[in-house]
Amino acid sequence: MSATGLSSTSAPSIAEPPSTATEPASGRRRRRGMTATNKRNLRTGLLFISPWIVGVLVFILYPVTYSIVLSFTRYSGMDAPTWVGVQNYITAFTDPLVAKATSNTIFFALIAVPLGLLVALTLAIAMNQNVREVALYRTIFYAPSLIPAFAMSFIFIVFLNPQFGLFNQVLNLFGGPNINLLGDPTGVKIAIILMAQFGAGNAALIFLAGLRNIPKTIYEAARVDGAGPGRQFVAITFPLLTPVLLFNLITGVSGALQVFTEAYIVTNGTGDPDAGALFYMMYLYKTAFGFAELGYASALAVLLFLAGLALALMIFWLSRRFVNYDVEAA
Amino acid sequence: MDRREFLVGAGVVTAAAFTASSCARSGPTGDHVIRYWGMGASDTDKDEAVREAFLATEEGQGMQIVIDQVPSSGVADMSQIITAVRGGTAPDLWWMDRFNAVQNASIGLLEPIDPLIEEYEDVSPEEFKRQWIQFAIDELTYDGQTYGLPTSTDARGLLYNENVLLESGIDLDMFDPEQHVITWDELREVARRITQVDSRGNYERFGFAPWIDEGWAYTWGFGLNAQVYDNATATITLDSPEWVSVFELFADWAEEFPYASVDAFYATYQPPNSPPSQSALFSGRLGMTTSGPWAIQGNEKYAPDLPLSFTWLPVTHADEPSRTWSGGQSLVIPKGANVTKNLWEYLKFHAGYPGQSIIQPLLGNLPTNLRAIEEDAFNPKAELFRQMLPNSTSRPPLPVGSAAWDALARTRGSVALGSMSPTEAAQSNQALIAPKMELFAGYTMPETYGTPSEVPGAQ
Repeated sequence: MSATGLSSTSAPSIAEPPSTATEPASGRRRRRGMTATNKRNLRTGLLFISPWIVGVLVFILYPVTYSIVLSFTRYSGMDAPTWVGVQNYITAFTDPLVAKATSNTIFFALIAVPLGLLVALTLAIAMNQNVREVALYRTIFYAPSLIPAFAMSFIFIVFLNPQFGLFNQVLNLFGGPNINLLGDPTGVKIAIILMAQFGAGNAALIFLAGLRNIPKTIYEAARVDGAGPGRQFVAITFPLLTPVLLFNLITGVSGALQVFTEAYIVTNGTGDPDAGALFYMMYLYKTAFGFAELGYASALAVLLFLAGLALALMIFWLSRRFVNYDVEAA
Repeated sequence: MDRREFLVGAGVVTAAAFTASSCARSGPTGDHVIRYWGMGASDTDKDEAVREAFLATEEGQGMQIVIDQVPSSGVADMSQIITAVRGGTAPDLWWMDRFNAVQNASIGLLEPIDPLIEEYEDVSPEEFKRQWIQFAIDELTYDGQTYGLPTSTDARGLLYNENVLLESGIDLDMFDPEQHVITWDELREVARRITQVDSRGNYERFGFAPWIDEGWAYTWGFGLNAQVYDNATATITLDSPEWVSVFELFADWAEEFPYASVDAFYATYQPPNSPPSQSALFSGRLGMTTSGPWAIQGNEKYAPDLPLSFTWLPVTHADEPSRTWSGGQSLVIPKGANVTKNLWEYLKFHAGYPGQSIIQPLLGNLPTNLRAIEEDAFNPKAELFRQMLPNSTSRPPLPVGSAAWDALARTRGSVALGSMSPTEAAQSNQALIAPKMELFAGYTMPETYGTPSEVPGAQ
């Protein structure tokens, strides 16, 4: 039984290639059985995508593998790496700044990701309204995502100025006190979380695609059954958006673990006050390029990768409980 | 055009693009070309003035000196130079913050200059290096080898706005470096009298905070005899009682002038990344701050009519000498440079008497070359800083210098903010830096480090 109350049918997915009785069992036999034209097409195809293949091998697979190797060495970027075994990993687990940077990053992820999903979903619903000016609204809602992170950071520094910034001017209007968010270890994290919401347009576009993929007939049936907008959202929209929600959640968590630019600019690269905005990537960057400890920085990168992988696997595992893939069937 | 012709054509175009781009990167080469990563864009004229002077000498005939400004994203960001050296595009000469020399030498980024002195000079390296201030040479020394020549130096002093002090009823004689060295207690009282608070509790005018501008842990640490490293035991000593007392100073001031209020004041009148003209001191909002001779240039440019003056750093007791510390730059040779006699001659010219006497009067800082100091080749307004030099020293030349600086700067904020006690801050710094230094077991700083340096003309 699906979350929408509709049972799935046995109709084949359109993505599935049609099976033929004459198709050879193994890939090798299939290749051998290729016609000259097919072989030429395959070669041409591979040639055309070769820049991408080379790019992945040279700029992703090689650096990742090399980084894993370096994580077991002491390496400054100049002399040959010296093997130190798991020393870098032991150091990472006893380094007070790693603990601080990790807790800051978790704080950021726990608030910024759910809030980001909520903002993106709200924007997507607004973009999906059946009004004449919808194209204009979509542009307006998406436009903040086009502002580069460094520019947004400078805007926020002015916006949050404790005396002249718009944020405090509005607070003053309601009799509130002047708040210097960037001068407080927790406040600076909150400011960066708020800044991150201006990039919600990308996730909103993906939510919008998901919204538009939900068949209108389901809503029509629900309306006939007397369901109001709230009930329709809970029983139809949200369940059928869960695959998109899963995608946005995974990318959101991945992005949150790598938060860097805003914090680097707002704090002048220090992460202060009191290391309140020293996020994991910032500390990793400092370790690598400030202190030239590339081996240790590689170990930090591997740990980040493992943490990201574990989180993604956990989310996928949990997703079996909340993700609904019945929209195609519907 | 069939597919084969298209693919061949695309391949040729791609290869041509790669060839053209790699040709574009390579400039003139050879023993008569020196590629130099110089000062920042605003100081290019000074580098160019030295270059022109060198080209007019006998050694400079036929030479070509290519000056590049490579923007650095931070004092301790080595990514550009490491990338250039590893990529085979290292400059032959690099204008570098001297403080990073030992760290950079320890990772193999720099060439020692002692072999060049032995090859091209008629005197021993020790005698040759006596032309420069000792602490500046010490800061470039790693494992008995020198990794560059010091070009400029400075010192930290108290910068104050006479107008603000007078409006607050302060007797300016107290700040006259000829008459008096202010004590911490006196400074606190002056700060109280300057500071004005509005109805909401915001500082409208502010006196002084020891953690702002150049108020680093080192700035007060040398006066309180706090040492980072003990040569005798080869250990980091960032948890010593002296360091605790440095952090107690920050905590003590923050109790009366809370960190959050001071931060709000600066964020309002001198926000981060603001242009140099937007200074709380220039706008008459700030009474005093910690600064150095490099500020003279900015003061003259942006506030020529404002009576801004310098005096000694405060002392604990009236009869003790004021102590400070000096930073500055150097010229170093990165690994992979084309090391020739021509390069040595230019390095010697630029960092020696001729280059320093051209640059320093324009730059505002002090020379490190003793002859240039003796002949007053600097802005006369920096004379007080020359007087400070005998009681000044460099930051400790350690392979973990950047990390130690970073830790001290961070915990300074933590203590002022109240999230760490002075003892916790000292212990935290020790826990962070000592393991990094263990990789250099038995390391010793130069024996002369921390001892008074000979400075001509200083009292």
